Amino acid sequence: MENQNVDRDVKAAIKKNWRLFKQSKIGITGLVIVIFFGFLAILQPLLFLTNIWDEATYHPVVGYDAEKISRTVVECPDQYPTKEYPTREDCPRVDEVNIRYLKAFGIEAEVGDSYESNVQPAPPSSRHLLGTDSLGRDIFSQIMEGSQVAFLLGLISAIIGVGISTLLGTAAAFYGGKLDTYLMRQSDLVLMLPTLPFLFIISAFAELKVWHLAIVLGTLGGLGGTVITIKSQALQVKVKPFVDSARITGGSKRRIMFSHILPNVAPLALLYMVFSVTGAIASESVLSFLGLLNIDMSWGIMIYLSQTEGFIFTGLKYWWLIIPAGLAVTLLAGGFYLVGRGLDDVFNPRLRRR
Amino acid sequence: MLVYTIKRFFEMVIVFFLFLVISYLLFNAIPGNAFSSLLLNPLLPPEAYQKTIEAFGLDKPLFERVQLYIINFFKGDFGYSYTYYPRTPIDLIAERLPRTLMLFSIVNVVAFYTGFLVGKILAWRRGSKSETWITIGSVFSYTVFYPWFALMMLWFFGYKMDWFPLGKFLVPEKWYDSPYASDEIFYTLILFTTISSFLLFLVFIFTRNIESLQKRRNARLFGLIILASLATMYWTNGEAALKRFYAADIAYHMILPTFTVTLVAFAGTALLTRTTMMEVLKDDYILTARAKGLSQKRIRDRHAARTALLPVVTSFIFTIITIIDGSVLTESIFSWPGMGQLILEAVVQEDIPLAMATFSFIGILALIAHFIADISYAFLDPRIRIKAEN
Repeated sequence: MENQNVDRDVKAAIKKNWRLFKQSKIGITGLVIVIFFGFLAILQPLLFLTNIWDEATYHPVVGYDAEKISRTVVECPDQYPTKEYPTREDCPRVDEVNIRYLKAFGIEAEVGDSYESNVQPAPPSSRHLLGTDSLGRDIFSQIMEGSQVAFLLGLISAIIGVGISTLLGTAAAFYGGKLDTYLMRQSDLVLMLPTLPFLFIISAFAELKVWHLAIVLGTLGGLGGTVITIKSQALQVKVKPFVDSARITGGSKRRIMFSHILPNVAPLALLYMVFSVTGAIASESVLSFLGLLNIDMSWGIMIYLSQTEGFIFTGLKYWWLIIPAGLAVTLLAGGFYLVGRGLDDVFNPRLRRR
Repeated sequence: MLVYTIKRFFEMVIVFFLFLVISYLLFNAIPGNAFSSLLLNPLLPPEAYQKTIEAFGLDKPLFERVQLYIINFFKGDFGYSYTYYPRTPIDLIAERLPRTLMLFSIVNVVAFYTGFLVGKILAWRRGSKSETWITIGSVFSYTVFYPWFALMMLWFFGYKMDWFPLGKFLVPEKWYDSPYASDEIFYTLILFTTISSFLLFLVFIFTRNIESLQKRRNARLFGLIILASLATMYWTNGEAALKRFYAADIAYHMILPTFTVTLVAFAGTALLTRTTMMEVLKDDYILTARAKGLSQKRIRDRHAARTALLPVVTSFIFTIITIIDGSVLTESIFSWPGMGQLILEAVVQEDIPLAMATFSFIGILALIAHFIADISYAFLDPRIRIKAEN
């Protein structure tokens, strides 16, 4: 009987909060973005399982597919500008190949012949929605793999971090005294730790995989600033009358902490969890961008590859190598941030419009 | 107040020692002999090898090594850098640190000021179209993947438009027959920036209490004109006129990184100001001010924005550490030879003495920023100040 009541209460609370959340356009926008990337992450294994995508062609790391294209052989002039080519960069055009280039590889050809070659990186086509990279791998598949990595890392590190900080923050508020002082100084220490150099040093001697990074980021986030915020929230709950009445009716300390204070801190913890996902995704991308992580494929690695292979300064000519990965990181991190803002409106009544 | 400061100071000292010990243990945890690349490095003569063994006490037990490390830290002795052999880590840091500090203090100040201004206006215009678009823009620049964004900026402004140089500190061709070392010019530049921003600050402080908004604006404009003419006088006379050409080269290289980091860094402050300002605008005293018939601008700037400033300052303090973090990325993308690039280089090339020294110094920087912020926050917030005094 009591259980049913609790169930009904929880359901009613969720319904009410969902109604509030729906009102904030920001939150809904963020949720749509997050669901979109979640869909992408789930879609890729499904496509492989149902054999719609062939693993040999579409695998994000070892797949290979070359698009054949026949180009006209031309000879580029020594002097620019000419009538056909205004600058040196315009020759050869997309559908042409320079004869000197072929000769350098010992291929016999005449000017005006058509020469069949592989296109890598290949521009977007119906076969490869976002084209292929310089090794003939499908970019769209890489984006999907990247979103799996991002979700895995973001969620694991957020859960670890928020779990630690909620427990420690509540304990610091509830027990106070020496434990409180110790925990606060500890979070000072973690806060002042320069995170990126710290992660560099860890990556210098440990082979960082996604799991390890998630645990490290989660622990660092969990011991840092969030503890202070959660503690201040728990302090506000601690002085409420229902905690006193629970104590008077003989509730044990542990019971008061876990079943009275924790549920009241939980919304704030959820909020921080959503915000910390943003940070985790960004950290992963930065580390793989600098080439310090031991991961096969992620959004950061895609940008790293496009930079080290020199495509980033070709501008919009090879846009499918540069734009999708960067936008994906930005959008997913932004999506989680917007969801956090939406939740903020729900849990922080002072911000509501009326 | 003094008691509070002293108490915080002692806590900071303890945290600092803990930080030193932890950073040593971290390097000690590197599997195998962390210093083994020393043996393989043909650039190092035997004296350097001996010196490193002695400096770090590599033949002694762990406890003594930690002690030795802390003592050496205060002596400023970190042995030799492996990659830049005859130079010591302290030497390298002394060269690189001013560059990082200069770039990032400018960015910090500009980003904080513009962020506060934008956030204030956003909260004031709640519900309008421009508010929605600027908020979307700020959220984008707050969550944008920074290295990607910086590379795009570099491509657009540096390569496509060719307005700014593609990173680096200076153009070497211009310095072949220079009578000055680049650091000397850079120190002049630092001195100039510090003094002029201090004077600018003074102008703002002295005009703060002028009641009429119109008069205040005029007074500030006048002050700015005087400062600008003083600066021109300085750069056209005496030795500075000779240095001008070289100083301009360095300053020219600073524009794009400053602009990029500011674009990314201002958004956090703007979004936070928007939130706190919205909370403040609901308070009763704003209603009172409106009822009194004060002008909108006065309510916004004098009544609401002052109160909203406090939480923004706190969060700004925490972002200082993030900005030190971010310097690593900025410097490696714009090839700005500062601390961030130094630590990345040291870690990638396993130059352990250098990595240790830079890591400790970045830690100290963060610690000092934290300490100053803590004290100034206590000073700004009357609730903490009064509690500390009783």
